[in-house]
Amino acid sequence: MKIESQGECLSISEIHELTAQNSAHFRDEVQAALKGSPAVIEINLSKTRFMDSSGLGALFALYRATAQSPGVILRLLNPMPEIQQLLELTQMQQLFEIVRR
Amino acid sequence: MKTLLICPSSRPAVAHIAEFGPLATAPILGDCIAGHWIEHLTALGARQIQVLVADGEDQVRLAVGDGARWGVRISVVAANFEPTKKEAGDRYRPDGEPGWLPAPNDVVLLSHLPGNPGLPLFESYASWFSALIAWMPLALTPARVRVKEVRPGIWIGSRARVSPAAKLVAPCWVGDQVTVEAGAVVGAGTILEDRTVVGGNSVVTQSWVGPDTFVGPMTSVTNSLAWGSTLIDWRTDSLLHVPDSFLLGSLAKAQSAATTDRFGRALIEKGTPDSKAALITAFSTRAGCTPNLKLPG
Repeated sequence: MKIESQGECLSISEIHELTAQNSAHFRDEVQAALKGSPAVIEINLSKTRFMDSSGLGALFALYRATAQSPGVILRLLNPMPEIQQLLELTQMQQLFEIVRR
Repeated sequence: MKTLLICPSSRPAVAHIAEFGPLATAPILGDCIAGHWIEHLTALGARQIQVLVADGEDQVRLAVGDGARWGVRISVVAANFEPTKKEAGDRYRPDGEPGWLPAPNDVVLLSHLPGNPGLPLFESYASWFSALIAWMPLALTPARVRVKEVRPGIWIGSRARVSPAAKLVAPCWVGDQVTVEAGAVVGAGTILEDRTVVGGNSVVTQSWVGPDTFVGPMTSVTNSLAWGSTLIDWRTDSLLHVPDSFLLGSLAKAQSAATTDRFGRALIEKGTPDSKAALITAFSTRAGCTPNLKLPG
């Protein structure tokens, strides 16, 4: 996983899977990066091939954390089709701005 | 009268349906494709039906039996490969032999449903879904007594359990022994095959749900084919094997599904804010996964 801060944008990428094995690590790393008070958070899911409910839970934790900071934009970038399906199955696509670029 | 049925072998475009068994035995609206055809041909006067099978002979034999169910005589013949209609006719239907149904029902390739040659089943997942939806109003034959049309365009199995607090939108098919729980929405263009369970507050629309499938509470199955833990978007052919059976799974794991369903219902009834994510977290913990979500407050 790669976390980069460019100005007010926090970019998280190189996530190959988000599961029970690594979701706690993901959450801790991102929570630590949030201390820089970014205005935009982009999670690039273009390389994420597998996600389970623990991974979804980690994304939701991030959603909850940012929801308490008005004006912060949280985006999911380029989810692979199967991850998009999982987001739709759980209706979590309603919580996130999903962007393809 | 005699007729010859050719069972399709592999069809790469719908490979994941074939993972569950031979395509001729794929479930459609309470019966298998072969069953629908045999019933149709019997109504046309067929009394002897030969079924040519290249793949899954035993499973086809199990599905159609000896034909007693339809009052006909069925013989299942193993073939080394799937013959074309012409090849099958040349080999099994001697020229000029009397007693055969007239063409095109003398030799039938099970690539579409009866009366719908323009809607092929196996060209893509989208074509599979379109053919099933078109077949829905035709599937309720006099022989199919366990399903009734309770309102125009809404068919429900007589042993189905549909909560009064669920919403059904025509056209939809709720098969035999299906359970639809409170708050669930079965939208237009939906087929729930036999013994499916649709959890509370979930939405299923423009989708086909295979038999013995559990659709978890508060989930949304849209524009999809769902069977066991397999979820296919029929518009894009995207395939997902859902890793968590409380979201979507096979009822072969009935105990696990029932347990999580009860637990999920308790959470929903409690009215927890953002209960969907709470549900995900709770189930992760129950499943022995690392508890990894700290909800603020």
